[in-house]
Amino acid sequence: MTSIDEFRARARAWLEQHAKPFDEAAGYDLEGSAVPLQESKRFQKALWEAGFAGITWPKEYGGQGLGAAELIAFNEEAADFDLPTGPFTIGLGMPGPTILELGTEEQRKRYLPPLLRGDEIWCQLFSEPGAGSDVASLQTTATRTETGWLINGQKVWTSGAQYSDFGTIIARTDPTVAKHRGITMFIVDMHHPGVTVRPLVVATGHAPFNEVFFDDVEVPADAVVGEVGEGWGAAVVMLRNERVTIGAGGRARSNPLGFDSLVELARARGLETDTAVRRRLAVLYARESALGAYGRVLHEETTAGVEIGARGSAAKLAGAELALWAADLAQDIIGSDIALGGADLERVVAAIVAAPGGAVAGGTNEIQRNIVGERVLGLAKDPGVDRNTPFNQLKLSR
Amino acid sequence: MSLIFTDDQKSLAETVRRFVAQRTPLPKVREVIGGDQAYDQEVWSRLAGDLGLAGLTIPEEYGGAGATQADLSAALRELGAGLVPSPLLACVLTAGALLALDDEEAKREVLPRIAEGALVGALAVSEPGNRRWIPAEPETTATGSGDAVTLSGAKVAVLNGAEAGVLLVQARGPQGVGLYLVERSAGGLTVTKDEVVDPTRSSATVTLDGAPARLVAGDAVAALDRVADLANLAIASEQCGAMLACLTMTTEYAKVRYAFGQPIGAYQGVKHKLADMYNLWALADAALREATRAADEEPAKLGTAAAAARTLSSPGYLTSAKETMLLHGGIGFTWEHDAHFFYKNAIAGNVLAGDADYQQDRLADKLGV
Repeated sequence: MTSIDEFRARARAWLEQHAKPFDEAAGYDLEGSAVPLQESKRFQKALWEAGFAGITWPKEYGGQGLGAAELIAFNEEAADFDLPTGPFTIGLGMPGPTILELGTEEQRKRYLPPLLRGDEIWCQLFSEPGAGSDVASLQTTATRTETGWLINGQKVWTSGAQYSDFGTIIARTDPTVAKHRGITMFIVDMHHPGVTVRPLVVATGHAPFNEVFFDDVEVPADAVVGEVGEGWGAAVVMLRNERVTIGAGGRARSNPLGFDSLVELARARGLETDTAVRRRLAVLYARESALGAYGRVLHEETTAGVEIGARGSAAKLAGAELALWAADLAQDIIGSDIALGGADLERVVAAIVAAPGGAVAGGTNEIQRNIVGERVLGLAKDPGVDRNTPFNQLKLSR
Repeated sequence: MSLIFTDDQKSLAETVRRFVAQRTPLPKVREVIGGDQAYDQEVWSRLAGDLGLAGLTIPEEYGGAGATQADLSAALRELGAGLVPSPLLACVLTAGALLALDDEEAKREVLPRIAEGALVGALAVSEPGNRRWIPAEPETTATGSGDAVTLSGAKVAVLNGAEAGVLLVQARGPQGVGLYLVERSAGGLTVTKDEVVDPTRSSATVTLDGAPARLVAGDAVAALDRVADLANLAIASEQCGAMLACLTMTTEYAKVRYAFGQPIGAYQGVKHKLADMYNLWALADAALREATRAADEEPAKLGTAAAAARTLSSPGYLTSAKETMLLHGGIGFTWEHDAHFFYKNAIAGNVLAGDADYQQDRLADKLGV
């Protein structure tokens, strides 16, 4: 047995003893809060104690100091289980790796071990009401004080802000230079009295995100991640990690807009022999299975050491387009009953209503097309007419 | 086996790509299809003989190389990218049908000659007035028995029918639907080359008026189902190659063509269409990889996977070829530019061996919907 096989066997044995098996039929966790926080923290701590948290992170910051092969082996085994680690996904996937890459030695020692062992939860504060696709036009400010900085402004679409201990925030520190150049990243204490978190109710009626308000929130000088004025670069590092986090996702819950579900829906409505419906179901199968195969191609290439670059954006775009297309098909299968809803249609109607969210969250389809065009195909960047204009002379959404 | 190419497949693809670039680049293809030949005989000899493509998936016992469907797919992608006219697809389908039947004598007689490139085989299934590629109840009839069988009827859209030395014809005989070998020289056989939209592919209309034929023993319905899968694999392979060629050509143009002070690829109206073309290719390509994987190691899943790949590759290629013309603007609509050859190839390829409705119905059948 190789050391990887041993590691895999050890992970499997631990998971079988400590985690619940994956339940494919379970519905989506629409609130993002099905698991009690204390249980998540306990589980993360147990994971760390068993040597399965921070697998590729250095030992001096609480990690295991192992390689990508061990991480992939663990993720493959973990895909068969429901790990209640949702609240740690953001911290471990984005702020954590960014602090590891850009943080000071003090920051790494202070923040990384408590994150890995489940003591502290993190969120990420980028988007603003006036800065969505164009995040670099953000208007939250950080002004210098004698001891550090004072943050004022509003962030939005913040997952987990309601229970986070810390967040990484990007704010404008110099409005007299071009928009990408005057931004700095900070670590902010989410328990500061100037921080207000409000749930953000979305189209589905659920509140999986928050709005976060900053009123004179002081942070010390050593809260800067990377260099002052280099926050855009730090944000790019973090977003790159976001795509890896999203791309690494395990198994899918049974999808109410997936082929199996819509075949069932068509049968229940006596449409399984309708020629047009059968043909659209066939196309749905083709698109869905191709997307799965594309994910496996990217995974195999990663394992074989081939850079997948920005192709994760192509997969994300394809997935969002497929969900919207399947939502149209589902509506046509349901017919006029869609207006009434009804108990048997609850899940599929919720998924139809939620489908546009996938085409916006994590970068809109238009932004993904820009990324595919520029970073996969190598086309010229968008003209970016405001690229060299000082921020305080730009027209902004307010 | 995985979904990424093996070193052997990469090397085969590279060899075919180099051959296409040196011996049959698009300006050369343009000359060939402007003449009266369906393909360049010397190019075909080299493809079949030196590169061994005619017998690639034919087992060694019948003179072939016994390679996998994934290997053949890698080569076909390159030929599709170059729009190389050749009777390879017709040979693959004819050999595939024979291999799926149980007539040892017919296999020993025909397959080695196809494998060495000495014989072109053509499959004749479609009939006039029937939209289905493979009719369930062919009108063409076989009468007589033993050595005295003759065929009567008409077959349309016979790929490389005019260049074939032997035809494999679907007909209804006393024992039901069968496949019959007809020599090109047979009396009562008339082959008329079609006027076609896509000049890179040759097809013919065949009439049989008491033409002598020989029944190939075996289950013809099952063999033709297998052939439909092989056709989907082969056509999807060519189309994935051609889609990538369209994407590459148009991306390069969007980098060097300037308008309003910027390369046109900087504008979202162009960039986003190219991103969508990328995804059409990437998903069809992934589906094709899954289909060739199934062909070689999980045959029970081949029918579904091959139909799924084709369901994406044909309309995807048609969209890509159309966008290639549109994004090139005026120059893309000239005879001088290659875009129209891809567009015509995509239009004809969309209905070759079964149109979109046929493929979707077939996929739904395979999925048990």
